[in-house]
Amino acid sequence: MDGLPLLTSILLCPVIGLGLIVLIPGGAARAVRWVSLLSALAATVMSIQLWRGYDAVTGGLQFVERLPWVEAVGISYHLGVDGFGTILVMLNSIVYLTGVLTMWDLTERVKGFFGFMLLLVVGVYGVFMAQDLFFFFFFYEVAVVPMYPLILIWGSGNRDYAAMKLMLFLLAGSALLFPALLAIYHSAGLGTFDMVLLSQHRFDTDVQIFLYPLIYLGFGVLAGMFPVHGWSPTGHVAAPSAVSMLHAGVLMKLGAFGILSVGIRLLPQGAAHWAPTFTVLAAIGIVYGAFVAIRQTDFKFVIGFSSVSHMGIVLLGLNLAALGQAGEDALNGAVFQMFAHGIMTALFFSTVGFIYDRAHSKTIADFGGLGAQMPRAVSIFIVAGLCGAGLPGLASFWAELLVFLAALKTYPLVGVVVIVGLVLTAVYILRVFRDAFFGEANPRWQSLVGLDMAGWQLLPRAILVGVLLFFGFFPRFLLDVIDSTTTSVLARFWMQ
Amino acid sequence: MELSLFAPELIALLGGLVLFAAPILGAGSATTWRLAVLAGSATFAGAVWSLPLSGEAFSPGIYYVDAFSQGVKVVVSLGYLLVVLGAREPVTLKAHAWSELPLFVLLASVGMMMMVSATELLTLYIAMELAAYPVYIAIALHRNPAIGGESSTKYMVQGMMASAVSLYGMSFLYGLAGSTYFEAITGQMGALSSTPLFWFGIILLLAGFLFKLAALPFHFWAPDTYEVSPHEVITFVASVSKVAAIAVLCRIMSLVMPAGMDACSVQNVLMWFAVGAMTLGNLAALRQSDLKRLLGYSAVAHAGYALIGVQAMSANGLTSALFYAVGYAAMSLICFLVVATVGRDQDRVSVEAMSGLWQRSPSMALVFLVGLLGLIGLPPTVGFIGKWFLFSAAIEQGQFVLVLVAAINATIALYYYLLVLRQIYLVDAPTDAAPLRWTPALALSAGVGSIVVVAMGVVPSPIWDQAAAAVATLLH
Repeated sequence: MDGLPLLTSILLCPVIGLGLIVLIPGGAARAVRWVSLLSALAATVMSIQLWRGYDAVTGGLQFVERLPWVEAVGISYHLGVDGFGTILVMLNSIVYLTGVLTMWDLTERVKGFFGFMLLLVVGVYGVFMAQDLFFFFFFYEVAVVPMYPLILIWGSGNRDYAAMKLMLFLLAGSALLFPALLAIYHSAGLGTFDMVLLSQHRFDTDVQIFLYPLIYLGFGVLAGMFPVHGWSPTGHVAAPSAVSMLHAGVLMKLGAFGILSVGIRLLPQGAAHWAPTFTVLAAIGIVYGAFVAIRQTDFKFVIGFSSVSHMGIVLLGLNLAALGQAGEDALNGAVFQMFAHGIMTALFFSTVGFIYDRAHSKTIADFGGLGAQMPRAVSIFIVAGLCGAGLPGLASFWAELLVFLAALKTYPLVGVVVIVGLVLTAVYILRVFRDAFFGEANPRWQSLVGLDMAGWQLLPRAILVGVLLFFGFFPRFLLDVIDSTTTSVLARFWMQ
Repeated sequence: MELSLFAPELIALLGGLVLFAAPILGAGSATTWRLAVLAGSATFAGAVWSLPLSGEAFSPGIYYVDAFSQGVKVVVSLGYLLVVLGAREPVTLKAHAWSELPLFVLLASVGMMMMVSATELLTLYIAMELAAYPVYIAIALHRNPAIGGESSTKYMVQGMMASAVSLYGMSFLYGLAGSTYFEAITGQMGALSSTPLFWFGIILLLAGFLFKLAALPFHFWAPDTYEVSPHEVITFVASVSKVAAIAVLCRIMSLVMPAGMDACSVQNVLMWFAVGAMTLGNLAALRQSDLKRLLGYSAVAHAGYALIGVQAMSANGLTSALFYAVGYAAMSLICFLVVATVGRDQDRVSVEAMSGLWQRSPSMALVFLVGLLGLIGLPPTVGFIGKWFLFSAAIEQGQFVLVLVAAINATIALYYYLLVLRQIYLVDAPTDAAPLRWTPALALSAGVGSIVVVAMGVVPSPIWDQAAAAVATLLH
């Protein structure tokens, strides 16, 4: 790495890509695509290196870089990853790479699209690496901003409404975070925004109880938390494929990651105090999202609401972790789900986008027997669907299993409710399969027969399917890395 | 008397003489403009050179030169230079006034530079008026006499009222302290601070500067004046004068801060002004269809944000207010440079006029995007970190609710800024719209402005440290 630290190098990949894209003249779409792809490849290779280099036996924060930034007010450029960060950086790289490949055929305002997309990726990497509250929030906002132009300009359908709604929801969340993050800084009285130092401070119980819900709600908006999830399905539906991939695949994880690394890590007692309330909300989110998904007529709305439901599992896991009885399973499951759901929704949107680009319809009822006309695209969608339904052999299975076990141990009733949610998931997934893919072929789509995925178009989907299968059969690789950090996070609850 | 301490102002004044003489001696507007750029550069160089100086330029107690005053002068002179660079052809002014604009704006800049050094009430008052009158005249030079007259009169009447209120406040201070020197007033703070009339006087004194800042309750002029004034003049009013106003507010606050808890009444009043300005500015902006008017209300809202730092009455608070003012000046400048170019042929610039700006000139759209991201308060611009500093200073004082109100306000503001962005990037330009071209000078000005907006957002420490040092000398 020639002296450049690994994390900064990963962060620089999209930054340099962005810089080059700005310099490339608008007409040179090919060059823009290749720059995006190369930067994504470089970032992915380095992320693999990061994963391999992360020592799961020692655990804790590794690859730390620290540089004073605004010393007078205690802001430092402090990067580092724990086990969670390592796998989420990997997740972002995979979605980034496959997203670029998915949008390879884009022809409209190519330069702007990839520019904003890379900016989004910079923000996401930054959040997963930042160990300073200021930079955490800084990158968080960097990740949110590009969503507006991306949906507004390249989106479809009700994009005007969707883009505005998304921004207003997310920045309303930030409005809660702003005072809360600053209050964390000032009530610690350490004169630093360094999250590592802050996590060693024991905050007043009252302060924790006061601040935690602000943090939870503020980040929860982005995590698609019930009842502030309204922006998420509309946003998913209106966004172009790669943006939906990034949005559902990684952006929503930022919300959960924020709750975890700011809320739970810095304010554990606040988390424990509020966990019962938020557990109930998360459980409602799981069942509600699944119920609403059953009634949808649009592919993307089904997936959009399934995201609300699946992110509910992540949030449930986080809250159960704060309650303690089955903390380890719950937290492992939550983080595992962040990764698995990220890959899964990326696969969903990548494939739905492919079908939509050819059929120009996302209405489930329009199709029927599409499996005969586009067998490859449909098979891939089915893999994603089965993963969503928690089929063993695919990554989500382990995540959902862990969280449900934890739920049953902690609150049996919640566990039962959540299992109902799982059944409902199977219902809406199988319904889509039946109505759109199986049954009699609709002659209207006969024209699609020659347009099925072929050649390199299969590449991004194959990568995603491969990852789902790999971690479905070898969850240990993921769990070892996660578990190394889970223990230390949970220790925060015993310490105090 | 130490003349070198007065160097930046002196250079500017000499420049003013040249700019005054040049048209009389037959120089065309192009030559005058070049001279103005020269005068601006020289003033800027002088200000930078004088940065490490400190002392008193005239008889003791009247005119301080220190890190604070010189720092602000650097910003003001740079702002002047950028505004003039962008006003190569101030088409919204009468043709014969093209060579007069740089002069009036320069004189106003001198007034602002003197304002921040003044440490005596009458000097402060005179400097304040020097900063105001040239602008009244410049606005009246609008190419459409009816608009110019109306707009200038509105601005002038309200401006003079505000300065009269300030003068009234000064009379209280003089009456109570028996002196117009800040030093003397600080010296008697112990006795004065227990007098309610003293605080009343201080609040009245603030009026003139709240007016310049377009803060509540002296904000009424902003939307009207912004809407119809010549674009080039309002570019100056919307950027440079805010820095000077905030700087003087900091100076006055530093005067009363030693009184500690006794100063609460001022702090309280300013806090409510801040809340009012933010809320009113943002809510009113939601309903505007005229872009300049919208930016006028947004200026009211931003005055409110800046006041958060001022009312925090702490070193961090004043520093963050200064820092934000500098950043805001840059964001506002680049927005207005673009608005002035797009609206060359119109007296008013509607939001609709921005339609399809990215097609007409992608780079101009990008500059405007940077400016708007700053105004919204998003990274990587100074708008984000500036708000972070301001809010941090308020939280430090335990003002959690105030910060929450401000942050919610920023969310409301998002809506109308996004509508403008939507117009630029989503709506197609009318087919007969001419492509927009950068002149080199305009590009330089907008380029420097944009770089400042982003650089201060990403690497804030140089400016922050400078501002902190300035405030430290103030509180010394």
